[in-house]
Amino acid sequence: MESKNNWKAWLYLAPVIILMAVFTFYPIINTFFISFLKNYDSLTGANKGFTFDNYIDILTPFGKNQTYYNEFMLTALPNTLLLTFVTVPISIILSLIIAIGLNSIKVFKKVFQTIFFMPYVTNAIAIGMVFAVIFDTQYGVFNAIFGVKGFPWIYPNPSAAAGTGLVNYWSAFFAICFYIVWHSLPYKILIFLGGLQNIDQQYYDAAKIDGSNKIKTSLKITVPLLSPQILYIMITSFIGAFKEYNSVIGLFDPKTGGQFDKSTGMENMTTVVYFIYKRMGESKPTLGYACSGAVVLFIIIMIFTAIQFKVSKKRVHY
Amino acid sequence: MEIKINHLTKTFPGNIKKNIPDTTAVNDLNILVEDGTLVGLLGPSGCGKSTTLYMIAGLKAPTEGEIWFGDEDVTHLAAEKRGIGLVFQNYALYPHMTVYDNVKFPLTNLNVIATKKASKILACKKIAELIEYHLDEINKIAEESIYDGKISKSAFARGMVAKYHVVTSIAEKIFHYGFFKLKGEELEQAKLAALSDLNASIEKQTQKYLDKGLTLNDDYEVLENGMPIEEKRRLTKDEIDALVQETARLVQISQYLERKPAELSGGQQQRVAIARALVRKPKVLLLDEPLSNLDARLRIQTREEIRRIQRETGITTVFVTHDQEEAMSISDKIVVMKDGVKMQEDAPQEVYRNPNCLFVAKFLGTPPINVFEGELKGGSLYIGEEKILTDKVFKSEGDKKVYVGIRPEGFILDETKEAKKVLTLNVEAIQTMGRDMSIVASNPHFLGESIKGIIDSEINVPLGDNKVGIRPSKIFVFDGETEKSFYLTEAK
Repeated sequence: MESKNNWKAWLYLAPVIILMAVFTFYPIINTFFISFLKNYDSLTGANKGFTFDNYIDILTPFGKNQTYYNEFMLTALPNTLLLTFVTVPISIILSLIIAIGLNSIKVFKKVFQTIFFMPYVTNAIAIGMVFAVIFDTQYGVFNAIFGVKGFPWIYPNPSAAAGTGLVNYWSAFFAICFYIVWHSLPYKILIFLGGLQNIDQQYYDAAKIDGSNKIKTSLKITVPLLSPQILYIMITSFIGAFKEYNSVIGLFDPKTGGQFDKSTGMENMTTVVYFIYKRMGESKPTLGYACSGAVVLFIIIMIFTAIQFKVSKKRVHY
Repeated sequence: MEIKINHLTKTFPGNIKKNIPDTTAVNDLNILVEDGTLVGLLGPSGCGKSTTLYMIAGLKAPTEGEIWFGDEDVTHLAAEKRGIGLVFQNYALYPHMTVYDNVKFPLTNLNVIATKKASKILACKKIAELIEYHLDEINKIAEESIYDGKISKSAFARGMVAKYHVVTSIAEKIFHYGFFKLKGEELEQAKLAALSDLNASIEKQTQKYLDKGLTLNDDYEVLENGMPIEEKRRLTKDEIDALVQETARLVQISQYLERKPAELSGGQQQRVAIARALVRKPKVLLLDEPLSNLDARLRIQTREEIRRIQRETGITTVFVTHDQEEAMSISDKIVVMKDGVKMQEDAPQEVYRNPNCLFVAKFLGTPPINVFEGELKGGSLYIGEEKILTDKVFKSEGDKKVYVGIRPEGFILDETKEAKKVLTLNVEAIQTMGRDMSIVASNPHFLGESIKGIIDSEINVPLGDNKVGIRPSKIFVFDGETEKSFYLTEAK
């Protein structure tokens, strides 16, 4: 009986499976494949055979081509990790606080919800451009607020003498974190609000009777009961942050990813995905590097997600 | 703690735009709950009984009226400051916490003013006493705590707590001495060594206090200039543990303390909820439909349990229910409510024997009371053409339409009994239910589906028309318009 009807199930699934096969499975497998090919040409498919060089060049300083090592291992990967571990916790904690706050106010709730949701429906590049203005060296809002003239937040000061007025890495880092956190809040707030509305009012009543104050109730009752949503948000935001790319080209020079004072940190804000895209636009046959970079990113994300699932087993209460 | 409710009113605002009128859930309610009694708020759903309970709890603010706990007006006092315990209908146990943590939670929020005690010395004393006099039993507990070939610390602690009512930390300290590993002479030596150690540390602690210019009295309270030191503080871990264990024993959940609420049955969850409400030793316990989520058998068991706990603690208790049997069986007093208004407030048996209106009469009793259309004519009560009763009360009331209520046990079919047969019932079916027999009958003036009567099973009743007698104490007469009772038992 079961096997008789099997073909029907497959038939229903066929459209999705075919689309997935063409646009997801094949590219994934092909990416692995290409990452082991030397000088792969993306247009003709010509290559010079199997090699580990793509990985050796980007991951170790022992390859023939030091520039890729510098770009990936010394710049893109540290940038990505830094951005991830700074923005994800900050944005989760902030959005949790905002969501709990929004959930407990009664007047203007809808208005505030709309305000907080605005960034979500705004184009990332457009926001990047606005932020570029906010952090502008000469006319920027930030410099105006703090009353400093010509502080180079993200772009060097054009009126300064050559070799001076360079951008400090950490000021640029602050600007991009500000941008990423602001842009990622609304979705998280939305998910948390949904979760909060599902928590039975009785738990809060019980906590009130038990004499628990608001902060303690939030920490001991609300957050644990929200843990499934927190886990979901954690996993998706870690993955999202590892793939950070839009914000970099939105905020900095899309061609270089910024130009900072080398003595203060990384020389630009390129991320792993930025590195991958950059390889694809090059006229040289460097797609192999893009693929090996993608595979490395894939493995990193996989490890992190696995760790989160493992940790969550104890801490998430469904 | 006596609870007094004066003119309590709760109105939920409607919406003028949508033409939804205001809803008055509770209307000018006056109730007196005497100290140490158990009072049941009884009524059909939507009668405002839960709203009343939540107003007593402080979770809902009354629109008008006052609530007094003893001499204190608590009407505007926050819920957490009223010193009440509340058991929710769905228990509202925190699902992510163990039973222990659930019960513990209210205590962690508590600030107490207590005398400072030399707790370390007290602990040492207790350990020394246990080791000195109960070592064999302690080792027996250890033997019983073997899981997977090893002596489990938590199981040992559980055993110790159950047997000697000590706090968990003391049980764990005794575990760490490891006496169960030793035998004979070795054990004896270890015991002596441990005792002298404990005595030494007691002396050391005492000296520490003396060095600070403090002394101790016989209860090991710390004295400064001969007066016990009072301090405002949170409860210590050991004090919390002692209270949790004590409450757990009271409601018999000691063996489930490490489980999560989802791993417990409904009845066990109910006990945990009661434990959580009682652990702070509140002055008032409030229960919202405590038995509605339990199956029939557990319901009877649990209501006895609630009664026992209430008696043991002597706590003033108010509980809400729509089940009249539940309310009748355990309450000292019941308050019957309808549409936010109190209908009657009295001892359960009194309410049953003397319902003051048709609603109360109909609401109490299983099977329900049989209501007939009746008439007063010339000082006599008639159902249809049949004259049922004559009483001087009826004369003073004048001629009018009335409702006549007869309890199922009020019919007399017995041939031998000398009772006047006054009412004709068409008996349609007879159901034997062991000791009693239930008859199903009809009468043209009966309001409702079918008349239910309960009679002795030894009586033979033929089907068809039977003339029956009626016990005067089981018949009630209500005004046809106001539905108020005017033929009370005292008058009969």
